[in-house]
Amino acid sequence: MKKIFLAFSLMFALFTLNEANAQCNAELYVTKSMKELNPGFQFSKSYRIDGRNGTRRKIEYTCVLAKDTSYQITISGKDGGAQGLISTLYDAKRRRIISSFYNNRFLGTWTYKCTSTGIYYLSFTFKDSKSYCGAAVLGFKR
Amino acid sequence: MKTKYLNTLAASVLLASSVSMASELPKDKVKSSTEEAQPTKVTQEVLPVTEVLESIPSPLEISVLIKENGTIYNKGDMNAPDAVSRYNTTFQKAINLGIYGTDLGFANIYGKNQDAITYLNSVRDLADGLGIGAFFDYETIKELAESSNRLDELIQQTTLNFEKINNNLRERKRENVSVLILAGGWIEAVYLTTVVNSREPNDLLKDKIGDQKIVLDQLLLVLDIYKSSAGFEDLINDLTALQEVYDEIEIEVIVGEPTMEEIDGVLVVTDGTRSVVHVTDSDIQKITSLLKSIRNKVIK
Repeated sequence: MKKIFLAFSLMFALFTLNEANAQCNAELYVTKSMKELNPGFQFSKSYRIDGRNGTRRKIEYTCVLAKDTSYQITISGKDGGAQGLISTLYDAKRRRIISSFYNNRFLGTWTYKCTSTGIYYLSFTFKDSKSYCGAAVLGFKR
Repeated sequence: MKTKYLNTLAASVLLASSVSMASELPKDKVKSSTEEAQPTKVTQEVLPVTEVLESIPSPLEISVLIKENGTIYNKGDMNAPDAVSRYNTTFQKAINLGIYGTDLGFANIYGKNQDAITYLNSVRDLADGLGIGAFFDYETIKELAESSNRLDELIQQTTLNFEKINNNLRERKRENVSVLILAGGWIEAVYLTTVVNSREPNDLLKDKIGDQKIVLDQLLLVLDIYKSSAGFEDLINDLTALQEVYDEIEIEVIVGEPTMEEIDGVLVVTDGTRSVVHVTDSDIQKITSLLKSIRNKVIK
């Protein structure tokens, strides 16, 4: 009986440990990303990037962006800075406007000068990531 | 016809919460100049509720525009903070939490710390009444509001707290409350813009009011899902009437290629596509009048 109890306890502990490792504490990276916003940009929204240990390859958000406004995205993840994370902005017709994987580098910050109010899609994907976890922040300035 | 269409669309959202589907959207007044020769139907994926909610921009963007327009702060334009005791139902509390949230942000942007604290108290009361007070860090925000030189941090923390409230509501499947908070925030932000524009007509503000056609469409998509919940039907009817006015506004999209440059390690992209809002003074007058009556019903 004692052995069965111990086995169950061990299994429970391992399961809990595994769950803890698999969890993505995106809040932590929201705080980091907020600090990376350039002066003059006002924090508007945050985006959680939880790849659920690699089972989710793409996380996409929809946003309404306004013309005559500059938007800035800052991104940070568990692999360190923007490493392993790519943010891509598409317009309403799914035309790619910008990608943070630029000249074979992961850029942590990019700015989009919007000249057309509309619906946009902001997607996050992983490239050679070990953690599949991070967050991005959207800032704006007129 | 439009309502029927929205109902169908909303039902699809519910049924296909995680399945992507293609569907037409009634965006006949949003046209692209490159498509005039060969008219095509504008299509868009039907999005899950949370995605539509997340797409709605922060009211802070409009508040910043109003301030940068050189508008003088007028407390009388906003909802009276002591009206909070009049809001007893979940519907009233949620929608006015959104309204006070915008007013709080507005006072913050203008650095009106005493007003910000008063609105903060109203926000706390309503959040507590909705059982989400624990997600609003009242003490930190109050401390920041009392400090005269931490304005950016104050605005940041206030926005983040509202985000936490909305995230929590969605996790607890209380999206209906989240929808109302966002609707209230939007109504107040656009209402303030119309008030300022009535006082001092301005093309920039006029354009911004016209632009809201896109946000209103998004809002109605999600509101319609909860039309059987208490209070929603009247709000949906009122906003649908507003949408009919917005249907007269045409947003022309002239497609162009983006340009990019790298400045100090930051990739900067300037869009080549631009939109032109064709809005008349008569449209603005109708929107101003309708929005005032909708807000008056909501704030009592």
